[in-house]
Amino acid sequence: MKRIRRLKETKKRNEKDSSTESTFKDISLDLQKNIENIKKMLGESSDLTIREIRSGTDETMLIAVIFIDGLADKVMVQESVIDPLMLDIRKTDISMNVIQNASFYEILKHFSLAACELKEIHRFQPLYEHLLSGDTIILIQDESKGFAIGSRNWKDRDVNEPTSQTVIRGPKDGFTETIRTNTALLRRKIKDPSLWIETNPIGHKTKTDVALVYLKGVVDENILQEVRERLKKIDTDSILESAYIEEYIQDNTYTPFPTIFNSERPDTIAAGILEGRVAIIVDGTPFVLLVPTLFVQFFQSSEDYYQRFDISVMVRLLRYISFFLALLTPSAYIAVTTFHQEMLPTSLLVSLAAQREGTPFPALIEALLMELTFEVLREAGIRMPRAVGSAISIVGALVLGQAAVEAGIVSSAMVIVVSITAISSFVMPSFNLAISLRVLRFPFMLLAATFGLFGIITGIIAMVLHLCSLRSFGVPYMSPMAPIIPKDQKDSILRAPLWKIRTRPSFISKNDKTRNATPPPKPESN
Amino acid sequence: MIAYVYRLATLLTCLFLLTSCWSSKELNEIAIATAIGIDKSDEGYLLTVQIINPGEIASDSPTNRTATTTYRSSGETLFEAFRRLTVQAPRKVYFSHVQIVVFGEEAAKSGIVQPLDFLSRDHEMRTDFLLVIAKDTLADQLLNILTPMDKISSNKIVSSFYMSEQNWAPTHTVKLDELMYKLSTDGNEAVLTGIFIKGNPELGKDSRSLEKTEPPTTVQINHIGVFKNDKLVGWFNEDESKGFNYFTDNVTSTIVNVPCSNSSTGIEVIRTITSLKASLENNTPHIDANVRVDGNVGDVECDIDITNPQTIRKFEAMVEKDIQSKMESAVSASQDKFNSDILGFGALIHREHPDQWRMLKNHWNEEFKNVEVDYTIHATIQRTGNITDSVQRKDGE
Repeated sequence: MKRIRRLKETKKRNEKDSSTESTFKDISLDLQKNIENIKKMLGESSDLTIREIRSGTDETMLIAVIFIDGLADKVMVQESVIDPLMLDIRKTDISMNVIQNASFYEILKHFSLAACELKEIHRFQPLYEHLLSGDTIILIQDESKGFAIGSRNWKDRDVNEPTSQTVIRGPKDGFTETIRTNTALLRRKIKDPSLWIETNPIGHKTKTDVALVYLKGVVDENILQEVRERLKKIDTDSILESAYIEEYIQDNTYTPFPTIFNSERPDTIAAGILEGRVAIIVDGTPFVLLVPTLFVQFFQSSEDYYQRFDISVMVRLLRYISFFLALLTPSAYIAVTTFHQEMLPTSLLVSLAAQREGTPFPALIEALLMELTFEVLREAGIRMPRAVGSAISIVGALVLGQAAVEAGIVSSAMVIVVSITAISSFVMPSFNLAISLRVLRFPFMLLAATFGLFGIITGIIAMVLHLCSLRSFGVPYMSPMAPIIPKDQKDSILRAPLWKIRTRPSFISKNDKTRNATPPPKPESN
Repeated sequence: MIAYVYRLATLLTCLFLLTSCWSSKELNEIAIATAIGIDKSDEGYLLTVQIINPGEIASDSPTNRTATTTYRSSGETLFEAFRRLTVQAPRKVYFSHVQIVVFGEEAAKSGIVQPLDFLSRDHEMRTDFLLVIAKDTLADQLLNILTPMDKISSNKIVSSFYMSEQNWAPTHTVKLDELMYKLSTDGNEAVLTGIFIKGNPELGKDSRSLEKTEPPTTVQINHIGVFKNDKLVGWFNEDESKGFNYFTDNVTSTIVNVPCSNSSTGIEVIRTITSLKASLENNTPHIDANVRVDGNVGDVECDIDITNPQTIRKFEAMVEKDIQSKMESAVSASQDKFNSDILGFGALIHREHPDQWRMLKNHWNEEFKNVEVDYTIHATIQRTGNITDSVQRKDGE
């Protein structure tokens, strides 16, 4: 008993000590005390606005209107809170029976406050949540409850074209930072009641809204449950970007390959949802996650479906080729020029040898030098302030261009190799995988310099084994190639005409497999 | 997990550090050899290797230095001579890009089997180089001649070989595998095409010779050298060489001149298909040679009406006769002059009549002389060119 009491005391003391003490308290009857409380909690922050009003027909009712400047829509507060309380309420005919019998609180609730969202609050905890989300709080003297009126309207970015994944043909709208806008964009694409959205806040301090969006009836319930559980396990202070979520819930951390797909494009995400995937929208980031993810997804652009299928097939194949080019060109160059000279045509060998005559470094060092320079330039290009952009590009052209060759530091063939690598890596429609290639290129270069082509082949085998061992929410990452699913090949490396893609990917959606039953187009026979 | 990572890291480090990249060689550490010359010397072999100066080939600013350098060494075995090169060459000589191997005529006459063993045994050598004989000279001399147009003389030789084989017929490119096959099978003798220096060989070594529009010394491809076993026994002349190539179905395109009235007409052969059949009558071998020739009229230098189908038929008959005479001369030269079965009659009988071949095999040398050949040649002239009648004929009217 003693021990329990001591425990209780400690707990109490802890609660008292902690600055969050008042958040757990109920709202008291004393309005001034409540206001003091709020001011104390927010440290009298300058954006906290508290307007005290004398209202009611006889101007005896003390009311406080509290909102955060910048988060709440001032015009709305003015029109639907201040106006009714200060002006309209005087015009109300209180002689009516209903009103006579009601308390001032109820009059406000049922007759005066002309706002669409109105919630009663009894405790400080929800009060702060509403206040800090942009709602307006109304507290009344001698009432232990108040109102939260929906007035959220902070500065918002317009829906405009996504910058990270551009298309020539296709919708030009992109997700924004606001979760509501993003869910609305998805709803605009999928107008079906089975599009369900589950929202939960994650992050103790940021309380970021994270929404799961899926098609009920199409989504695999097991996968959905798995996503919910992984999200539930996140116990952190802050979620600032969807990448935080991505790192917390991915299957395998020790891999250079992304196992969660992200996109800025509503059409891409909508297509994913329609295939039975789960989209995860995080408030404050325009990048929406899509799980489970397959390797082939990173080679697919939404534009593939907006062009003729034969053209898309060609373009997709091109992407696979550039994947290998971006990954292997420098290492192949190293391997062939230092181990397998017999593989080159004589004339090419002679001209390569002529270029290498004056250069001081072995091919590996030369390649590392140039690749690192390129990576530095690329990083600088992204991070630099706009104003120095031209300086970077001029210096970059000089460093990676003729000057380095003329100075005799690198051979001109190496410049070509680096350029091919760089350009090929930009072909990838998703930036995620392009970054993985950047990283993987270097081990491959080392392998090539130590074992030649033998090393490269070993590296590729190891990479493929690793890829095959990966899973994303229980779905094999390399499907439909490993395990091979002939039916799903229609939309993996190749893309069949739309009317031939009749089923959803078999590993993603176990229910409602048919998605398309359009007959093949036939010219009308007369 | 951590132990696993450490173990893996150690393993990988060992992997990278302990290999020492044993077969790696940077491009600027190797000397690319493009041609090998093999001659007989007192000691054994005299080896000549032509090495490229890459800086001279691909540089923007031409210098006076030559594009190739030749190194010479000798040894009791060819391998020894190859290794002795290292005392002269500043870099490791790299043989994978050898395009041509030249035997001096003396060396070819005394037998080529021994040097071939090294060439086919060494792992660095590829098998797609050409083998030729330096006619009337040493391989060493030949590889020292500078050539215009192509700075690397072996490149020049190889490309003119392929061009002449495709367009002119009396040459035959032989690669290592073909030569080894012919030397090692019964009823088949080898041939190698000859190559010779025209002009003064001493002048040809001087780079100043290249500054003239007409170089004083040039390298030319000549006729086919006939081998008996592994020894060079003599040379075919141009007609015999062509006849040989008709037999072995090696003619892609050539010119046949047929006489007409006061001058002659050039027929361009564009396609030939030769099929040989062997038969044995009373144990006497007999070969049926069936040649189909397609051609175009290319050059009419006489007063003749080529729009007349009769003329074309006459041409065809003359082409057939011309080809037959060349083939006959090739057969008679190989039977009587050299007694060497370079046409592969023995191998043909071996393939088609293996049982009889077993009996013939032992005295094939004598038997070969008696082989009779029947010719069935069918020539077709398809086109007569862009103009019909010759200008000369118009004038005559």
